[in-house]
Amino acid sequence: MNKKTYYGEFGGQFVSESLMNTLQEVDEAFEAAIKDESFLKEYHYYLKQYVGRETPLYFAERLSEKYGTKIYLKREDLNHTGAHKINNVIGQILLAKRMGKKKVIAETGAGQHGVATATGAALFDMECTVYMGEEDIKRQALNVMRMEMLGAKVVSVKSGSNTLKDATNEAIRTWAKTAEDTFYVIGSAVGPYPYPKIVKEFQSVISREAKKQILEVEGRLPDVVMACVGGGSNSIGMFADFIEEKDVKLIGVEAAGLGIETGQHASAMAEGRMGVLHGMKSYLLQDENGNIELAHSISAGLDYPGVGPEHAYLRDTGRAEYVSITDVEAMDALMELCKLEGIIPAIESAHAVAYATKMAKTMKKDDITIICLSGRGDKDVNTISDYLAGKGYLN
Amino acid sequence: MNRIENKLNQLKAKQEKAFITYVTAGFPDLAKTKEIIKVQEKAGTDIVELGVPFSDPVADGPVIQDASYRSICGGTNLTKVFKTVEELRNDGVEIPIVFMLYYNTILFYGVEAFVKECERVGVDGLIIPDLPLEEQEEIKTALVGQDNTILLQLVSPVSKQRIPQILNGARGFVYCVSSMGVTGQAAEFHKEVKSYLQNVKEQSEIPVMMGFGIRTAKDVEPMKDIIDGAIVGSHFIRLLEESNFDLEKVKEYCSTFKKELNEL
Repeated sequence: MNKKTYYGEFGGQFVSESLMNTLQEVDEAFEAAIKDESFLKEYHYYLKQYVGRETPLYFAERLSEKYGTKIYLKREDLNHTGAHKINNVIGQILLAKRMGKKKVIAETGAGQHGVATATGAALFDMECTVYMGEEDIKRQALNVMRMEMLGAKVVSVKSGSNTLKDATNEAIRTWAKTAEDTFYVIGSAVGPYPYPKIVKEFQSVISREAKKQILEVEGRLPDVVMACVGGGSNSIGMFADFIEEKDVKLIGVEAAGLGIETGQHASAMAEGRMGVLHGMKSYLLQDENGNIELAHSISAGLDYPGVGPEHAYLRDTGRAEYVSITDVEAMDALMELCKLEGIIPAIESAHAVAYATKMAKTMKKDDITIICLSGRGDKDVNTISDYLAGKGYLN
Repeated sequence: MNRIENKLNQLKAKQEKAFITYVTAGFPDLAKTKEIIKVQEKAGTDIVELGVPFSDPVADGPVIQDASYRSICGGTNLTKVFKTVEELRNDGVEIPIVFMLYYNTILFYGVEAFVKECERVGVDGLIIPDLPLEEQEEIKTALVGQDNTILLQLVSPVSKQRIPQILNGARGFVYCVSSMGVTGQAAEFHKEVKSYLQNVKEQSEIPVMMGFGIRTAKDVEPMKDIIDGAIVGSHFIRLLEESNFDLEKVKEYCSTFKKELNEL
C-alpha cells in the first residue's frame, strides 16, 4: 500500500492500470503547480476578478437572535455560478492548461459542477464534455441548458440507475480511453488520489478566508465550523484551515433523506460500511451483496452513495463529527433562512443551517458557529415549489 | 499445480495458442452459465473468464455493463457464483476458471474468506480490473502459500515503465489490454499495439494474452508472432444474446476461433 495516497485506511487509487500513469502525471503537475508562484498568482487573480472572492463572512443577525447564539454564514452562494464548485474548477482547469490538455470532461448530478466546469472551459477555451445521468437531465433541465449555452456537450448516461454515480462511472470510462489528451475535472472531494487532495487544496480558500475574517470581527476562533457533506468538497474546504485548531469543533452534515431508518437516505457515514467505488476506498452505501445502493436526498448535490476519503478518516480519528438532517428538517431551515435573513440557500446548504439551529440549544450566547453556505437556491426553485405544493419531489 | 499454469504448459508443449472467453455469470441465469462453460470445454476453449457482476463496472463497456445489470436483477451474487463453480467441478469440469470481478465484491465478502472459498471450490485465477499493482498487497497476502488460486496481472498500452514491476513475480499469463478504455470497443487497437505487445513479450517470462475488442481470430493476425493467445469478451456476450443462448452456436464459434487461431 502506497501510504502517500491514503488517509489512514481510506483513499488509494482503485483504477484500471490504464489510468495509473495518468494519475501520476496529474499528481506531479499538481504538486509542482501549487509550489509555483506564477500558478498561484494566476489562480488567485481569477478567484478575485472572475469568481468574485473574497466572499463575505456574514453575521446572521436575526437567526442568531432567534437561536440565542452567534451564527456566521460563509457566503459561497455569492460566487460566480452560485456555489463553491467554481473555486475548484478554476484550479483544476488551470492545472489542465498547464499540463497542455485541450479537453476537459466532468461528471455532474444536479448540474452545479457541470455548469462550473462548462464556465471554466469557456473562459479558458477548452472543449468540454459533461456526463450526466438520464434521470438527472430530466429533472435539471435548466442546468443542462446553461451548460449548452456555455458551449459544453452534455452526454446523457443511460446505464445502471442513470444518476450521478453512473455519470461518474461513464466519465471514468471515457477518461481511461482519452487520458492522453483529456483532463478529468472531478467536482467533489472523491475519486482516486490525488483528486481528494486537489479538491481540498482548491476549496481550502473557504476556510482560509473565514479564519482571517472571524479573527478580524471576533478576535478569536469559532467554537464550531459546520458544512453539508455529499462527496464532501465544500466541507473539506470549510474544515481545511481549522483541522489543526483542536479547539474548533468540526461538524459535517449528511443528508438523512426520509430518515436513516427508512433506508432512503444519502448518509454513507451512518451505516459505516467501507468499500471501493470511483477509485477510492471509503464509506459507501451498499446492499447485502456488496453492490452500491442508490442514495436518496431531496438535495441532488448530496445524493451520492459515498463520501470523500479524508472525511472518513476525520470521522474515524474523531477529529470531525458527522451528523444527518432529513429532507423535512432541511426544507424548514431553508424557508426560515429566506424569511429571517433574505437569503435563499441551496437545499444542500440548508442541511447545515438546519443542524446549526438544532444544535443551538447546547450553545451559549457568545459561542460562535460558522456555517458554510455552499450555494444559492435559485437552481432549486422547482424542487421547492413542488415540495411546498405537497406534490412530492423528483429526487 | 494450478489449473491455468498446467493448461498453459500443455499448450506450450503442443505449440498452440490459447483461446480464452469471458462470460458474465448469471447471464441469463446460472444454470445456463454452467451449460455455456461445459460446451466450451468440449469445443476447445482453453480458459474461461467468469465475470461476477457488480453494480458499477467501470472497466466495462455497454455490452458487459448490460449483461452485469441484468444478471444482478436476476439475483446473481458472489455466493451463488461460488456455488456454480463448485457444481461445475463436481460435474467433472476441469477447464481453468478465472474470476473477473471488481474489488468491492471481494472486500465486501472479506478478502481472506474470499480467497479460501476460491481455493475450496476451484477458482483458478483472479482478474481484478480496478486493483492496480499499488493496491494488491492485501489480496497477495491472503493468496500466499497456496497454489490453487493465482492473481493475474493486467498491462495497458500506456503502462510503459511500469511493465517490469507488474511482471515481477506475475503468474499464469499476463493480460494485455489492446486498447485504452473499456471492454467491447470495435477491433480498434491502440495505435502502437504491436510495439507495445512486443515490448511486453520481451520482458515476460509467462505467456502473453491479448484482450479487448477481439471478434475473430483474423483480428489478431498481425500480432500472431507475438502473442500466446486471445481473449474474447463483449463479442462473445453479444453472440450469446443474439443467438438466444444457442449452445450449438457457442460450440461452433469457439471451435472455429480456436482452429483459426492456430492456423494463422
